Amino acid sequence: MGLYFLDFVVFVGIFGIIALSLNLEFGFAGLANFGKVAFFLIGAYTYALLSQIGIPFAICLIVGALISALFGLVVALPTLRLRLDYLAISVLAFGEILRLIVKSERWIAGGDWGMSVAPIFPWTGSELIYRLENIGLVFVCLLICFVVAQLLANSPYGRVVRAIREDEIAAEALGKDRAKYKAQIFMLGSAMAGLAGGLFAQYLQYVVPGMFMPMVTFTVWIMVLLGGPANNWGALLGAGLVELFDRGANIAKDYLVLPVDPSSLQYILFGALIIFVLLYRPQGLLKESPIKTKALELVRHGKGIVNTKASK
Amino acid sequence: MLGAVGLTMTYGLSAFPNFAHAEFITLGAFIGYFVAEQLGLGLPVAFIVAFLVSGIVAFLCYRGVFQPLAKRGATIIHLMVASIALGFILRHSIGAAWGWPPLYFTTRWPAFDLGAIRVTELWLWIIFTAMAVAFVMHLILTRTKIGKAIRATSSNPELALASGINIDRVIWITWFVGGGLAAIAGIFRAADTQIWPMTGWDIILPMFAVVILGGIGNFYGAIVAALIVGLAENIGVVGLAALGLSTTYRMAIPFLILIITLIIKPQGLAMLFRRA
Repeated sequence: MGLYFLDFVVFVGIFGIIALSLNLEFGFAGLANFGKVAFFLIGAYTYALLSQIGIPFAICLIVGALISALFGLVVALPTLRLRLDYLAISVLAFGEILRLIVKSERWIAGGDWGMSVAPIFPWTGSELIYRLENIGLVFVCLLICFVVAQLLANSPYGRVVRAIREDEIAAEALGKDRAKYKAQIFMLGSAMAGLAGGLFAQYLQYVVPGMFMPMVTFTVWIMVLLGGPANNWGALLGAGLVELFDRGANIAKDYLVLPVDPSSLQYILFGALIIFVLLYRPQGLLKESPIKTKALELVRHGKGIVNTKASK
Repeated sequence: MLGAVGLTMTYGLSAFPNFAHAEFITLGAFIGYFVAEQLGLGLPVAFIVAFLVSGIVAFLCYRGVFQPLAKRGATIIHLMVASIALGFILRHSIGAAWGWPPLYFTTRWPAFDLGAIRVTELWLWIIFTAMAVAFVMHLILTRTKIGKAIRATSSNPELALASGINIDRVIWITWFVGGGLAAIAGIFRAADTQIWPMTGWDIILPMFAVVILGGIGNFYGAIVAALIVGLAENIGVVGLAALGLSTTYRMAIPFLILIITLIIKPQGLAMLFRRA
């Protein structure tokens, strides 16, 4: 049970990273990435292939993230100047095709059977220690991503990105190159997803194409929408809750006798959940975090001074 | 093509890509299978029932989910996510009802040789039905009042509303017809290959390529684009085989067309049919 809980924690960490990346793209920049799983896959496979030829794990992770970012740029480039739905459709298609490629080309990474990945940490004979080590690694990465996302959200850069989300034309009129900003955010988001993919491959010690179904993308969307778009804490909360629900449903499956196939029922509930959130709480559990900047504090502070002066 | 026509119409009218369209296709195929095989009522009845059921489900989806969302000011992204969510609900409900292993229609279609090509009667029926649907839709869109209203709402909803068109009703009818056509496409697809809960999802991406190549919401564009994508895919398969690559890459061909369209001419073939 304890081991199971630790496994859960690792998954929350990995999906937390992806949720953060989607939150950057969708929450802050308003980009609809329906192919998140593609970048997750690129990260995982890059990690698997590079670690096989004996490259140190940190470099594998970083290269995986960089390659993901590169692919993100290539896929997003033709569509960034167009309406949002074009991006959504092409990225979704990209993910499906990528999965087909790794599935049918046996020479890349074992095709349908996938390939095994050597673990980073030497086996100490204890599953407990292995999982604790992984928790440490995953949460260091999560922390880095969270700090980056948080700094970005509260920086002038983050304000420009939000401005583009709210009104592209107005942002453009102020001299902000919207395609450039969108491309940068999309690359950053893809890099984070790639990093998560590398961690995922490392933790599970194997990769197979079946891990990267479109359902993964959708799960991450639920996390972000449920937790609260444009709120990094919300993304983490969503990752935890959805993962908890997923595990809970898996356990409940063994105890409940239902007339419907429980795994189908789980997807149906996921779908229903998302529609309810969209209908009744579109802002998610946590609202969009207000921007924290020095300037804003100064203004508030300054106002206070003005008021006290006026009262004197 | 049959599926893409329905998709492009609802896309154009409601201004978001409905990913649940895949499930209207699947649902149609399963209803058709249920009526024709499990109840033994034959294919013609199956077509009618599937058309009605899928149409009603499409209408209910719009009325129950998308319309309230749009009224609450949901963005296009929210609508897309909702459509994926609905797709999951429908797909897995279908999976729970009929199971996941593939099913097959038992009807055997007589085949004959046309030169070097082997043609089944089913294909002729598909071609015939597609042409008939295209012709009937053309008549409806150009000759009837509701057709005019659909085109007006598609090109400018505010103006259509101002001219006294009941936009809501127009959109409902379009969703109904779109869902119905998807069902017919689904039965044909199922009769030609197999039927399982992923039937629709398997062909939704090529369909999006068709819709975008044809120009979103453009009925004539979609027909021409369907021909182009279909041909390209089949020529491409021959090319892939010649290059020694796996034919699973046939899925990549519509994707390539999609990307090229987006780079060169995002509005698709619609420019050829400005008046449509």
